[in-house]
Amino acid sequence: MALRLWASSTANALRISCASKTHVAPAFSLFRCFSTVLDGLKYASSHEWVKHEGSVATIGITDHAQDHLGEVVFVDLPEPGGSVGKGGSFGAVESVKATSDVNSPISGQIVEVNSKLTETPGLVNSSPYEDGWMIKIKPSSPSELESMMGSKEYTQFCEEEDAAH
Amino acid sequence: MRVPRSLEVWKLGTVNYLDALKLQEKLVSDRKIRKIPDTLLSLQHQPTYTLGKRRTDHNLLIPENELKKIGAELHYTQRGGDITYHGPHQAILYPIISLRDIGCGARNYVEKLELTMIELASLYGVKACPGQKGETGVWVGDRKIGAIGVRITYGITSHGLAFNIDPDLAYFKHIVPCGIADKEVTSLSRETGFHIVSLSQILSN
Repeated sequence: MALRLWASSTANALRISCASKTHVAPAFSLFRCFSTVLDGLKYASSHEWVKHEGSVATIGITDHAQDHLGEVVFVDLPEPGGSVGKGGSFGAVESVKATSDVNSPISGQIVEVNSKLTETPGLVNSSPYEDGWMIKIKPSSPSELESMMGSKEYTQFCEEEDAAH
Repeated sequence: MRVPRSLEVWKLGTVNYLDALKLQEKLVSDRKIRKIPDTLLSLQHQPTYTLGKRRTDHNLLIPENELKKIGAELHYTQRGGDITYHGPHQAILYPIISLRDIGCGARNYVEKLELTMIELASLYGVKACPGQKGETGVWVGDRKIGAIGVRITYGITSHGLAFNIDPDLAYFKHIVPCGIADKEVTSLSRETGFHIVSLSQILSN
């Protein structure tokens, strides 16, 4: 609790200090509920991220998403080799007695899934952008990435969503 | 931009579990394309055991072929949570709500379902509270009075909550409710010490 309060006040403090120099893009941005948004990734309005490197795109859920889900206790992932369509569901995460589908923001063939999540589903919470990645796909239409949000847009999107709530 | 929110409530009486499941699937796809507003189903089931996505069969303590003898069905579902029981005199709410439209996450939503049951219990003078970490649901002391199991697809909810008004608690003896051993299940009747006759009145709240 104390840590959370501390983090919260830290976030508030940072938010104030950042406000006057928004043109300086930090490696990550902090917003209201101090979720992390990484630069260089693409984001979907359904709170998945995509990291496109070479011929492979890695997909996971964002820090904002894991924070809103609560403690993840189970991750259901597909078998490699199958394909996913843009906006289609490829798996599910279970937290606090709720299973939520995870959608792929782009279409392609699944080349690898993060099998570590079967044993340690909590990686989705503790390391959403690194160890908690979910699937790797070979994009069939890489241009689909262009319609996704960048880090700045996504940060704003989350802020607006939280404000509306 | 804030869109005016409306909630349509359907009071369905007693509904077969699979019929209710099909209805929810239809409503979720209608809600997804905005053909319908947020909708709340209020109903009861005949005796039915249901398992969540994790298929924790080991928490069903009665052989499947004996279920018929006790007049109960068994169904596998895609909701979160462990095994549970549904039956007469248990109030069930299945909200079909777009969480994405209101920017609400799963955790928040489940907390709201818990709160709904806590408020209902308090109307009858029963002090209920949310479970400890990992024990989602609503409890009166060590005794569970309300269960939660939710599915979220495309940001739209289905399944929901089950609150024990006055069900036959003997049915819970055949399962490890919600996968938590050594905990009892209770009902509003048991906690208040009187039979609640007007279930429909409670459901209408």
